[in-house]
Amino acid sequence: MAQPKTADNPEGRKWHWQEGDYEVIRSSARSGPGCHDNCGVLLYVKDGKLEKIEGDPENPYNQGRLCPRCLAYKEMLYHPDRLLYPMKRDRDKRGEDAFERISWDEATEIILREMGKVIDTYGAESIWVTQGTGRDINGYGPLMARYLGTPNYGTGFLSGIACYAPRRFSTALKSGGLFIADYSQYMPDRYDDPRWRRPDYILIWGNNPVVANSDGTLGHWVVECMKRGSKLITIDPKLTWLAGKSDVFLQLRPGTDTALAMALCNHIIENGLQDQEFCDCWCYGYNEFAEHLKPYTPEWAAEICGVDAELIKEAARKIGEAESCCLQWGVAMDHTSEGFVTGMAAYDLMALTGNFENPGGMVDAPFAFDVNVTWSAGDDWELCTHDLPNQDKKICGDWPANKAMQAISPDDLLVAMETGEPYPIKAMWMMQNNALACMGAAPQRIIKALQENMEFNVVVDLFLTPTALACADVLLPAATFAERMGIYGHQPYLLGTINQAIEPLGEVKPDQVIMYEIGKKFGRGEGMEQWTTEEEFYDFCLRNSGFTYKTLQERSWAFPEFEYEKHKKGLLRPDGQPGFNTSTGRYNFYSREMVYFGFPPFPTYEEPPESPVSAPELAEKYPLVLTTGARHWGFFHSEHRQSPSMRRLHPEPTVLIHPKTAEKYGIADGDWVKIENNFGECRQKAKLTVRMREDTVAADHAWWFPERDPGDGTLFGVMESNINKLIPMRPGKSGLGASYKSQLCAISKIEE
Amino acid sequence: MRKYLAIDYDFCTGCHTCEIACQQEHGLEPDQFGIELTQIGPDQITDRYWQFEFVPIPTDRCDRCTMRQAEGKPPSCVQHCQAGCIYYGTLEELGPRIDKKKVAIFS
Repeated sequence: MAQPKTADNPEGRKWHWQEGDYEVIRSSARSGPGCHDNCGVLLYVKDGKLEKIEGDPENPYNQGRLCPRCLAYKEMLYHPDRLLYPMKRDRDKRGEDAFERISWDEATEIILREMGKVIDTYGAESIWVTQGTGRDINGYGPLMARYLGTPNYGTGFLSGIACYAPRRFSTALKSGGLFIADYSQYMPDRYDDPRWRRPDYILIWGNNPVVANSDGTLGHWVVECMKRGSKLITIDPKLTWLAGKSDVFLQLRPGTDTALAMALCNHIIENGLQDQEFCDCWCYGYNEFAEHLKPYTPEWAAEICGVDAELIKEAARKIGEAESCCLQWGVAMDHTSEGFVTGMAAYDLMALTGNFENPGGMVDAPFAFDVNVTWSAGDDWELCTHDLPNQDKKICGDWPANKAMQAISPDDLLVAMETGEPYPIKAMWMMQNNALACMGAAPQRIIKALQENMEFNVVVDLFLTPTALACADVLLPAATFAERMGIYGHQPYLLGTINQAIEPLGEVKPDQVIMYEIGKKFGRGEGMEQWTTEEEFYDFCLRNSGFTYKTLQERSWAFPEFEYEKHKKGLLRPDGQPGFNTSTGRYNFYSREMVYFGFPPFPTYEEPPESPVSAPELAEKYPLVLTTGARHWGFFHSEHRQSPSMRRLHPEPTVLIHPKTAEKYGIADGDWVKIENNFGECRQKAKLTVRMREDTVAADHAWWFPERDPGDGTLFGVMESNINKLIPMRPGKSGLGASYKSQLCAISKIEE
Repeated sequence: MRKYLAIDYDFCTGCHTCEIACQQEHGLEPDQFGIELTQIGPDQITDRYWQFEFVPIPTDRCDRCTMRQAEGKPPSCVQHCQAGCIYYGTLEELGPRIDKKKVAIFS
């Protein structure tokens, strides 16, 4: 097969070499432990042991830099608590420290027998295969579901699939694809590529990218743009470092972002700052959009959002007058009930100002070399198993967005586990999904459903997590990145190989191998693709790319050719016509799909269900706004709590409270605080800071205490500081988006 | 020629990478530092301006990564700094990178 055209020159690039006593292996830290990035790393191995890890200075993605989690990776890899062997436990001992080591053969036998019983009794659709967000299995996980024969695959207990799915789907209706902020990441020469120009303004919206590094964006790219003259506008209830560096900081009330986006658009149009040519030539429904926005003035939004109208006007003017502006959005967009609309409204702002497909604007993110499995669930696995006869039984609920995108509804699946409606869910296959600690809203319900209602639970993870301790009947050990091979490209700027550096510890296996080795025994892939080695497996994944695992490995990574203004060149649509890949061929200010769903065609603002405005009586009892889930430097969600140097950075669960608010409730810095609302309560330690809005507190998510004895009956304390006990399992009207960041609460000091 | 460690703290995000890179390079415990982060603020200096910044400071445990330098590599904190805001060199080599506000220089 001819090698595909690439934008980088691999001459002289090696993937392994000797350096003194060390064998050096060039690889990527995608992943586990969990991460959303593709950082290039150099793994220094001596006598079969990983001695040190460094950033790869030649890799254009991170240019030699590396974050604390990766630098301290050995603390996770060689941690004494690492799960190294398959385990089993009697079903009636769920929650107890009563695991017994078994062989992979026995684990496979038990899984075949127990899953087989569930399939025979209830049908294969009664198995729910879940993933978290940590390791690189988004694309591969659906294979496991197909092997088991169930249509129910997706994020485990994440209400409203409130992480990227709401934004990605709703803005795809607008733009026909995924367009992301341009930090030069598509070009191997990065900031030096003459085609690139730094954004005039970066709109940091509900995101703290330098900490979060979400969705294939290395947050510190923003800092490189700042050095080159980019200015910032930050929208956040908390003063972040980036907010402190911003021209305009809009410290809004959580959950009101859509109102702000509408007002920014309103002010731009009122002052004629829109890119009229882009709106006329490339957009659908501009005039109606402008008409729709008329009542939604900065003064209107100022009242709702709790920010100064003059600041909104200043931000609008700066965005409108900029030569380029990009949107650095975060999960806060998805973390409110009507978050489905928030991403759309922010995209409208980008379209209104012509910031699509321009240097420093929003650029299309297609699959690099036609490979999507490295970051996104696709249909690749249809070739590997027989068709699912029960595909139409997928539990999407009555939610229009879930039905349209054929996505599960985790909210409805939990109901099916509890009630047997529309049919019973009776078994779980959970990969990298510590749902009780992390993404699961209403963990009080989840733990009960997992422990009491399931016939059989399989958990695959790096450590014994609280979720595994609570419910696993079979627990399988997964490999970390140095122990395995693979391919990377999370967000597809480039494609590269993960190269195995050391022998797997104990009997751990890569997630992908666990899936195809055990999965194919279910007999649904007979006569189809079969793999006996990992290399064969990855050759299959790369079959449309022009690379094999070996040819890609030889060059370590490959960048596809890149160009701007693809909408003008017919490069966004499969038919080769100019325009966007939407039903109208244009960017849709007016969304016909939204009308089809029964919603207004333009963004409209709705209060979160629990807010001081929408629920004043509730707010009398629970007067503060509660936002949750901000990332911390050393942790990836519920991971890294057992890594000593990461835990040092943030030893305890903390709730951020403004000093004036704390004084009102008699709370001092360092006090343990009870946080409670109409859904539940938990305890966290008060950290007083003027960085917060006075009416809002920000609580940590994903806490557990792996240093505790697994036999002490507390499941590593997972329910004690668990802020998700205050969050309902309940999506917004579309089915996508949930109020993880916009609840009400009361706080009080816990007397020790 | 004397070499200096220069921090452009206008761009230090407080990510702790320098601390961890140093601990890993020198086999230090989590509470031992060859370079340690300090914080300024958050301090509301004017109605519109907050100072909320970080400055890492090298300690007496810092040997400027002599071993790495012998192999032609930069000190580990300099290479790994996510913000790319730690520089190492003679005053001449540092040149325009330190000719600005908010640079801390350690000799």
